[in-house]
Amino acid sequence: MASTGGSLLFYLLAATALFGAAVVVWTREIMRLALGLGILLLATAGLFAYAGFGLLAVAEIFLYVGGVLILFLFAIMLVRRETPGEPRVGTRASVMSVLAAAAVFGTLVFGLNGLATTQRDVTGWSTVKGVGESLLGTLLPQFELAGVLLLVALVAIVVVAVGDDE
Amino acid sequence: MLLLASALVSLGVYGILVRRDLLGVLACVEVMMAGGLLMLVGLGAQAGWTVVNPSAVEGIAILVLVTVAAEAGVGFALLMNVARRRGTTQTDELVEVRDE
Repeated sequence: MASTGGSLLFYLLAATALFGAAVVVWTREIMRLALGLGILLLATAGLFAYAGFGLLAVAEIFLYVGGVLILFLFAIMLVRRETPGEPRVGTRASVMSVLAAAAVFGTLVFGLNGLATTQRDVTGWSTVKGVGESLLGTLLPQFELAGVLLLVALVAIVVVAVGDDE
Repeated sequence: MLLLASALVSLGVYGILVRRDLLGVLACVEVMMAGGLLMLVGLGAQAGWTVVNPSAVEGIAILVLVTVAAEAGVGFALLMNVARRRGTTQTDELVEVRDE
């Protein structure tokens, strides 16, 4: 089972992730939103590393922080040039939004049949060699489909972003 | 781990409903995706590492990560298109369906 030091690390990472998510949901300024998203993604990478998934943690930092977050910053830069004024946050937190989120949370926790509250040792060591063997072995169809998906997404992004002005 | 993942998903849902800017909505979608990935890892752990090959769980998680990145790219491209055509990214001004 995880030692006390290990559990403390997990709770620290979890608190950081929740803090980042709270910043993303509740902040008024768009750059703080990007920063909060970065904090959340880095904490998630730390949690992956804590669970023994080193390749996943590094891949997440490459793709998510180095890709999606940079894309986000580019979108902020490009969109704000065309729309004047500061983007506002909808802080009219209506009761229905809170109820909907609570319902989602309740459904997830209930659907997990009590697994959510009994946390077992989450560290399982996987190796890069093992990931390679499974990606090109048992997960080969999914791997190829992911490649096709990326190609389709690339074409779609070019077509959609350029628009039909030309 | 699973409780954290559920909390992240529901926070993301709340953020999508509350945020009035499309960029904020897309960021909250990413929050939900991070929660989903954590749930993958947590469920793999609960199954027990003798039952499930951890390398296979990591492979599946990497493929999900790839899908999320592709979806984020398409989402941002759509956002840029909307911003160019409609001149705004505020959902209040973008609504075309009104209950009169």
